[in-house]
Amino acid sequence: MRLSNRTRFWLPYAISILCAILFIYAATSKLWDFQEFKVQLGQSPVLTAYAEWMAWLVPLTEYVLAVLLLIDSTRQKALFGFLGLMTMFTTYILIVLNFSDYVPCSCGGVLENMGWTEHLVFNLFFVALAIIAILQLDSRPIHNSTLS
Amino acid sequence: MNINTVYIKLMGTLCLGIGLVVIVFLSAEKAVQRNNAFTRRYPPHPLNRLYELNLGFNSYYIAGFEGDDVYLGNHTAPRHLLQINLITKDTSHLKIGFQTKNLPFRNLRTALYPPHFFIMDGTSPFILRGEIGEWIAKPWIKDAGYFLKAVPIDSNKIYISTVSTVLRRTVLGLLKKKDKPKLELNPDLLTPQIDGMFDSDGTLLFNGDSKTLGYAYLYRNELLIINPELNLIKKLKTIDTITTAQIHLAIDSIDHTSQLKAPPLVVNKAAVFYGDLALVHSPRLGKNEPAHMLQEAAIIDVYNWRKDTYEFSFYIHNSENGSVKKFQLHDTWLVALMGKSISVYQLEPSFFRPHVSKTK
Repeated sequence: MRLSNRTRFWLPYAISILCAILFIYAATSKLWDFQEFKVQLGQSPVLTAYAEWMAWLVPLTEYVLAVLLLIDSTRQKALFGFLGLMTMFTTYILIVLNFSDYVPCSCGGVLENMGWTEHLVFNLFFVALAIIAILQLDSRPIHNSTLS
Repeated sequence: MNINTVYIKLMGTLCLGIGLVVIVFLSAEKAVQRNNAFTRRYPPHPLNRLYELNLGFNSYYIAGFEGDDVYLGNHTAPRHLLQINLITKDTSHLKIGFQTKNLPFRNLRTALYPPHFFIMDGTSPFILRGEIGEWIAKPWIKDAGYFLKAVPIDSNKIYISTVSTVLRRTVLGLLKKKDKPKLELNPDLLTPQIDGMFDSDGTLLFNGDSKTLGYAYLYRNELLIINPELNLIKKLKTIDTITTAQIHLAIDSIDHTSQLKAPPLVVNKAAVFYGDLALVHSPRLGKNEPAHMLQEAAIIDVYNWRKDTYEFSFYIHNSENGSVKKFQLHDTWLVALMGKSISVYQLEPSFFRPHVSKTK
């Protein structure tokens, strides 16, 4: 990618903040109406059996990753974690849309108003951002050492 | 980290993410709704398909019948009715005039009881009534109370299910009007099992020929046969073995409202009366039945409620327009709504002896 060194340096950082904001927002809106979230998870065609502990696990993981994304030393690992989780969400949407008898929704906040297709595009956008951030973060130390 | 390692790691993360969800999905692939405790009988050709008409919309429901005509109401266009002659297939669009204005409503439904038609909502306590042919809805009852489901069973009687504010559970009742509207409830008809609301959910049945009322529980293998004075005649067990509703509820700690927190196990998805017969749409497979039939057709079990017997079962095959949503029997026809279309079947008289016990 042809980007100025300045952008290269800031890009992973900016993306990490954006991702952290997304996860903090998503987790908070889930916990805000936790009862509702748990019920909706239970109505999922796939997750009924795991609804109880998954309702806790998902927002907690999101918070932990958000914090790790904001810490310099853990950023790269956290980005991988973010990417993994977003991939799982996206796969879940694809499977539910295509292979399931019925389609429930358990997204919180503004995300609730998105259709499934918009949701898919939204997720893929963040997956792409995470990949870009990881690649930039990875190639940076070499450039940094030659530059400074 | 060299560039190859990071690509490998990226691919690894993506594959792991996708893989995990796929594994969860495959392992959760629901156990087929099978019950080996009962075996169905499928005799050849108890009914024959006559034709299918495309309606253009999937928001129609069956409002009722008169003579050779079926009338379809529309959820999204409550003033609109579609009249279809079942013999000639002629259709005509009707518009209902309202004599009242600005009625608060959320879920208007039209139901026919010749020579009248009724317009009800349930979330608003009014009921309008008019005459078929004239199609003008006039105020009939202003303070009917709230109800869940309603079926007119006479020109001035409506059979309802409602939530009793005293008992906080679902009860059956009759709404009558002679000079003044009067509500009669019989709280003993429905038996609460878990919360008395969700667990007692079901379908109201009515047979005009024998003036019999009925109730088919959604989540248990039971039908109630009820006389027009709202007394229980008998309880009928279906061939299924689910005696207790298998639903899981989440009760809100603050306002004590309950919600289903897992998909419920539906036993009697829909039911209708036809003479002495009760037809029940079951979404469950019995012994030796191919699992793919659940995707391809609605399984209808036929019982004789007077004789307490299971008679036979048949399929209503889904059309390419969608799966069976609602079905009703009238005269010698079975009419089924599926997706955007209506399918009409001719009943075979040897299986469906109509009006055996016409008691007048």
